[in-house]
Amino acid sequence: MKAVNLDLVHTEHPLYAKLQSMGMPANKTEQYRNFAIKPLLAQKYHFYNPEKSVPKEGEKLVITNGSVSEFPAGVQVRYESDFVCDNAHYDVLYFYSHAVSVQTIYVEVTRESRFELEHICNQAETFLPYRIVISTAKNIHVEIFETFRFDASEQSFVLYGLDAFVNTDTTLRWIRNASINQAQAKLVGTHRFDVAREGALELNTFDFGDANALHLYKIDLAEHAWSRAAHLLYANTQARSGNIIAINHNEVYAKSAQEARYILVDEAVGIFDSKIRVDAGAQHSHAVQNSKAILLSPHAHMYAKPQLEIYIDELEASHGATIGELDADALFYLNSRGIEAEEARKILVLAFAQSLIDSIGSSHYVEKINQAFEAAYYKKEQ
Amino acid sequence: MMQIKNLHAKIGEKEILKGVNLALEKGKVHVLMGTNGSGKSTLTKAIVGHYDVSVTAGTIEYKGKNLVDMPAEERALEGVFLSFQNPIEIPGVNNAYFLRAALNAKEKYRGEKETNAAEFLKLMRAHAQKLGMNPDMISRGLNDGFSGGEKKRNEILQMEILQPDMILLDEIDSGLDIDALKAVSQGINRMKDGERTFLVITHYKRILDYIHPDYVHIFQDGQVIKNGGPELVDVLESEGYQAIVKD
Ligand SMILES: Nc1ncnc2c1ncn2[C@@H]1O[C@H](COP(=O)(O)OP(=O)(O)OP(=O)(O)O)[C@@H](O)[C@H]1O
Ligand SMILES: [Mg+2]
Repeated sequence: MKAVNLDLVHTEHPLYAKLQSMGMPANKTEQYRNFAIKPLLAQKYHFYNPEKSVPKEGEKLVITNGSVSEFPAGVQVRYESDFVCDNAHYDVLYFYSHAVSVQTIYVEVTRESRFELEHICNQAETFLPYRIVISTAKNIHVEIFETFRFDASEQSFVLYGLDAFVNTDTTLRWIRNASINQAQAKLVGTHRFDVAREGALELNTFDFGDANALHLYKIDLAEHAWSRAAHLLYANTQARSGNIIAINHNEVYAKSAQEARYILVDEAVGIFDSKIRVDAGAQHSHAVQNSKAILLSPHAHMYAKPQLEIYIDELEASHGATIGELDADALFYLNSRGIEAEEARKILVLAFAQSLIDSIGSSHYVEKINQAFEAAYYKKEQ
Repeated sequence: MMQIKNLHAKIGEKEILKGVNLALEKGKVHVLMGTNGSGKSTLTKAIVGHYDVSVTAGTIEYKGKNLVDMPAEERALEGVFLSFQNPIEIPGVNNAYFLRAALNAKEKYRGEKETNAAEFLKLMRAHAQKLGMNPDMISRGLNDGFSGGEKKRNEILQMEILQPDMILLDEIDSGLDIDALKAVSQGINRMKDGERTFLVITHYKRILDYIHPDYVHIFQDGQVIKNGGPELVDVLESEGYQAIVKD
């Protein structure tokens, strides 16, 4: 059993020097400051060597312990050993995961598709690093519903990530539905979305439960590209969970909108750190960002850090962050109509969450997310 | 129906109600008038148990119980209803969903069968139509973006569906256009059944022409200073509050 550190990377790996200069994340590393990464890396794990069994064709894309066990029709899957990663990524674990993953899973989507991507980890006390590249054809609509089944994965650490390429005129709707609990694997996802000219990314993330899970994203927008990100998070007991996002408007007429809603219970810690950067060459940008957190207990804590970094003179931009409790007047209004306190709280919490769940609109997955949310919410009630 | 005796109450450190005495008779329409800031809304809030108002002395007897120590939702379940002077907006809470939750809570409290979603929608549509409300208000967020008049109609809609026994209407007539005033007054008149009691707070005579009050009470500086009949309103209209002599 070994800890997760630079010793795991071969000194001849092309990323070795870069990793050495960046250093492994420590408690002071900005992105991991509130996540307690250090004990996670220091823990001793087994190292699981993914089996390269031949996957069967089915309905979902299933990745079991880091290798593909099932793939849907219309999607090509292969392994690549030398994927070139984005040198400008801000997260050291992005590079690290590239360096330690035995192979990269390469998923090519060539036509209109909608499928579920299921991650299965059923190994205990294991460090499981893997990466997925998603490439898309031009002018198609792709919807991917990402789920996690982490049964029997206690004391494990899953470090995965996506490099997704949204082609010209293509829309990628990415929906993450994660209900992971404290007894299961810890999760760090470190991603990059590259959105080409006129491409669109809809990133909808739903993280419920008491997991320790952190996702870090870098989103690059070309000319007339747009991204719309919505993050709903419900965390209870001792969860530490969050999203760290860098959105770069690299060219003209890029648009981005981002909304985060967190509901924190018990001693849960929520992290939302988002930076929108509008480059000097990105005239006519449009950027909005907003985060709201509701703390349902005095011991819950929210770290919100919304930032705009602007290098042009004129743009339409706004941002804001609020952290608070449920509105006392709203609660009273419901009480005054005979609705008892606990029920009134539930109605208001569901309303707060609902607008983000509904914002994925026409998706086939709204019902599943509603169920997952209610399951997490009622668990708290027990 | 309700006896308010020597009621004193504070908001923060400030005493607002300074010994209110008021008897509300079963099946009657009582009107409460008084100058701005005299404490009328505070009185209604004390009756429904708003967290801002702390009662320091006195009692509110209703159906043989003292309401003062009862949680707000229980007062509502016992049939006390307040139409707020400024109903708040609660975006994201569907108007129909909310009102059915309220109706179901009441049915449960009384051990009655709970109205299901389909039955409820029919009921709500019928009432909304009678009040001349735009049907899309049923599915919108609770008071979300409603105009002043639309909010008041929505309060009356809630009253008609919840069928309370003791009805407090705090300036239900302010900000209403002529048609809305008629629709709202008709809603109130539909609720009169000789059993229900109304306390109507208003600054104007015009709503009284529709709802025909039985008693008029004048409120000043945290107290009821005069009790009488509809004739008091005419005195007020012609001579103002200074003409009112304390009982
Ligand atoms: N939340 C509050 N904090 C501090 N003071 C308050 C609060 N609510 C009411 N007050 C004060 O209490 C007094 C009585 O207010 P109230 O709203 O009961 O008057 P009102 O008789 O209903 O007046 P109006 O006719 O203008 O509606 C006023 O002086 C008001 O400023
Ligand atoms: Mg008032």
